[in-house]
Amino acid sequence: MAIEELDSQVTTGGANALLKGASRKVRRGLSIALRTNSGRIGFAIVAFHLFLAIFGPLLAPYSPTDFTSEDLKIRLTGPSMEHLLGTDGFGRDVLSRVVAGARSIIWISFIGTALGITLGTIVGMTSGYIGGKIDQVVMRGVDVFLAFPGLLLALLVINLGVQRIGIDLWPSKEAWLIIITIGIAFMPANSRVIRSAALAIKPLEFVQSARLRGESSFYIIFREVLPNIIPVVAVEASIRVSFALLLTAGLGFLGLGVQPPTPDWGLMVSENREFLSIAPWAALAPAMAMASLVVGVNLLTDGVREAAQLPISQEAS
Amino acid sequence: MSQLSQTEGQLLELDRLAVTFYTPRATVRAVRDLSIEIRRGEVLGLVGESGCGKSTAAFAIMGYLPGTTRVDGSILFEGRDIAHMGDSDLRELRGNRIAMVYQDPATSLNPSMRIGTQVQEVLREHLDLDSKQVRERMIELFESVRLADPEAIGQRYPHQLSGGMQQRVVIAMALACDPLLLIMDEPTTGLDVTTEATILDLIVELKDRVNAGILFVSHNLGVIARVADRVAVMYAGEIVEQATVGELFKNPRHPYTAGLLSCVPRPPGDDGIERKLSSIPGSVLDAQIEGGESCLFADRCPLAQDACTAQVPPMTDLDGHLSKCLFPDDVHSGIWGESQERNKELIPEEPIPVLNAHSLRKFYGRERKKYLFFGPPVQQRVRALIDVDMKVGTGRTLGVVGESGSGKSTAAKTIVGLVPKDGGKLELRGQNLADGVQHRSKEQRAAMRMVFQNPTASLNPKLPIRHSIIRALRKFAGLSRDESRERAEQLLEAVGLDPSYLDRPPSELSGGQQQRVALAGAFAASPDLIVADEAVSSLDVSVQAQVLNLLEEHQRESGNSYVFITHDLGVVRYVSDDILVLYAGHVAEYGPSEAVLGSPSHPYTEALLSAAPIPDPEATQNQIRLEGSVPTLHSAFKGCFFAGRCPRKIGDICDTSAPPEQAGSHGEGHIINCHIPVEELAIIQQQPFQNGVSVT
Repeated sequence: MAIEELDSQVTTGGANALLKGASRKVRRGLSIALRTNSGRIGFAIVAFHLFLAIFGPLLAPYSPTDFTSEDLKIRLTGPSMEHLLGTDGFGRDVLSRVVAGARSIIWISFIGTALGITLGTIVGMTSGYIGGKIDQVVMRGVDVFLAFPGLLLALLVINLGVQRIGIDLWPSKEAWLIIITIGIAFMPANSRVIRSAALAIKPLEFVQSARLRGESSFYIIFREVLPNIIPVVAVEASIRVSFALLLTAGLGFLGLGVQPPTPDWGLMVSENREFLSIAPWAALAPAMAMASLVVGVNLLTDGVREAAQLPISQEAS
Repeated sequence: MSQLSQTEGQLLELDRLAVTFYTPRATVRAVRDLSIEIRRGEVLGLVGESGCGKSTAAFAIMGYLPGTTRVDGSILFEGRDIAHMGDSDLRELRGNRIAMVYQDPATSLNPSMRIGTQVQEVLREHLDLDSKQVRERMIELFESVRLADPEAIGQRYPHQLSGGMQQRVVIAMALACDPLLLIMDEPTTGLDVTTEATILDLIVELKDRVNAGILFVSHNLGVIARVADRVAVMYAGEIVEQATVGELFKNPRHPYTAGLLSCVPRPPGDDGIERKLSSIPGSVLDAQIEGGESCLFADRCPLAQDACTAQVPPMTDLDGHLSKCLFPDDVHSGIWGESQERNKELIPEEPIPVLNAHSLRKFYGRERKKYLFFGPPVQQRVRALIDVDMKVGTGRTLGVVGESGSGKSTAAKTIVGLVPKDGGKLELRGQNLADGVQHRSKEQRAAMRMVFQNPTASLNPKLPIRHSIIRALRKFAGLSRDESRERAEQLLEAVGLDPSYLDRPPSELSGGQQQRVALAGAFAASPDLIVADEAVSSLDVSVQAQVLNLLEEHQRESGNSYVFITHDLGVVRYVSDDILVLYAGHVAEYGPSEAVLGSPSHPYTEALLSAAPIPDPEATQNQIRLEGSVPTLHSAFKGCFFAGRCPRKIGDICDTSAPPEQAGSHGEGHIINCHIPVEELAIIQQQPFQNGVSVT
């Protein structure tokens, strides 16, 4: 029913225009974000990581996973011209593995964050807009979720998932389970933030005006309220990405994430930590890669926050 | 007016003051050319529309301008130039010799500190007194601003005081060190009309008592007329006219002043002919535009000639009356078209009113039990509307007036269905109206539209302005996308905006333009009734006049009706055929507008009328003053709703029983809810009346 009432602009031909408008807004937001130094530096770091994630495997000198008996002889050697960051416990090239590891952590964290933000935004906006008893019940439910520590939630989801899901998924069941975990872990806190943003919009007169036109709640939430809280959503998303990166790496470290021999930064730190005294590069390199990505994301977040705080008049011009 | 002490020279002298803000995006010329003088014991009113640089001028005098600002010209205070003074010297002046009173008393006071602590802090900072003297001085100050019970006030927190009392405290703090110059920046703008009247009385009284010079900044000509000795009119950052208050209002010599005066709705003149409201087209020159060699007002001026854009007009002195116009002698009443008689034909009344509300009731809050879940119910619900009746005929306008808290907005929201009613009956063209808007039929929603107070909030800032208009057209008129676009363009033209505005974001429009877009959206479905909740209150007078004329034109053409909610009696007098006076959710008086505004009237109506500022310094008004603010009445309340503030209270009966509904002078259709018999009201209201000025 709600779909029927939705403006055809949203459902049919207008979808393109809407997308175009959205991408224009994203570009404008990004250009504002890049006005600050922290935004620029953060963007450069994140872009570098993204570049490696996409093209890295093509450039990497060695295979990240395969090793021969020859390789085993050069295990745990230090940096050299052949192996810029040395080799790990199986004699594999650390640089190649770090570069290849960027891919899984980045896509898992980004998609996980997107899932969490989407769920949180829908729950938060709806609950805040509808209000009353429904709002109370939903928010108490959110409280229950919030009471679970993230890692515990992850253990629960992954253990259950690995046992119960019979089919094979690309690239691995664990990756999707981590995404779901991130989604569930981020939804409650995010829905709180979005709800309060929606509550600030709800009493405004253009929302009342839409009610007087007889618009459905669905239409008002997504067409009238949502565009006004996009800056909040953007800031939330960029903050949460760095949490997601840390959570993914942490799960990898605990062996709950991507399984060996797939290169994964968390897993690599865990595999090589016993050699820390004789071959520190093997554990430090993925750790540094992780750290620089998180710092880059955080710097970019600062820029995004700056962009979101600009008064409407300047943003719209 | 007050005697000017000839012996002392000028207290403050601004000479060709210009204030320019430099931002990365633009250069803003907030003040372009400002030359004024203030003597001791004199009130200079500074008046103009928003964006004319009034507040910037006030801040410049206080030396409160950010570092990136360029100040040209001089600000001489007792011969010393404030504009180029060091910080420590400025600090010495501020508070001690120059004090400022801001618009919003609530933000001038620290909400987490007791009033006494805040006032004493000021006294200790500036005066060398011991703690006993500080206390005495504080009480003396509270007495001087007529705060009742000055001992106890110091113990209270700002939120425990009404807006008027807060502003008195702020004024007391400003007076703490016997300043020579007081700057008041819109000190009554956020206050109710009744409270405004008492504060203005205080300022007039202080003027004679403290012998300080006062710069009184306001956009409201009626307020200026009441307090000022001399008036300077500011336009686009420069003074365009300056004269004594009587002279300026009677005989304006600059077309802008004449225009401002003709925009204000006022009662019919002695000849009984109701004049049309004129308006100033366009908007104030953008402060980012360089003026060049031209009169800055030329693009809006009906007298503009080629000469006006060829040179900057000099300030001409006409016997002490300064005007920055090349043709001051051509300025006379009528240049703005205001002498046209207003065409006020009414469509013949139809038997079934457009809107009929009967015994409308609304309560806020929930009923509670005495002991958590048990025991008898405690009557705690707040009366928002009690037994309100109203009828709006075809092509008529019902004005609803009252102070804030009187239930006006609740009435509007209940009628359009934004909040459910708790009792009574609502009918649109004889058909029952369901409670919430979602339960009403599409036809009913289309027939009744609402216009809100805040034009900026009534358009979605993230969507182009076509959105609301086109949605209304598609929802109500069932038009296709192309048809609705075409119709939306016509609607925009009808409200005097260019159709190209459709694709712009609301932020590119001024407040007046935004309100016209909101009107276009309301007109879209050809409604029978438009509920306008303070629709012109946030607009400048010239824009307000444009919008009022637009509403009237639309009514004449399409015969729709209005429920027009406002706190401005001048506006309500101008637009209404019938008037409903609300107080604390109760009907005080209801009837045809000439009956309600005439005598006899309910004591509350009488007080409102006497408080309303009239832009004519020679107007005579009774001084009936109401103290405090509208009370919150609970559902168990007995007695007359107005008894707590009524200046004409007759005795115990007012506290113990609800007033009877009496037919007013105009017989049926005119209702006065008061214990005093109508005949008696008629007699006592003929006599001059002035009540005390103390505040409780």
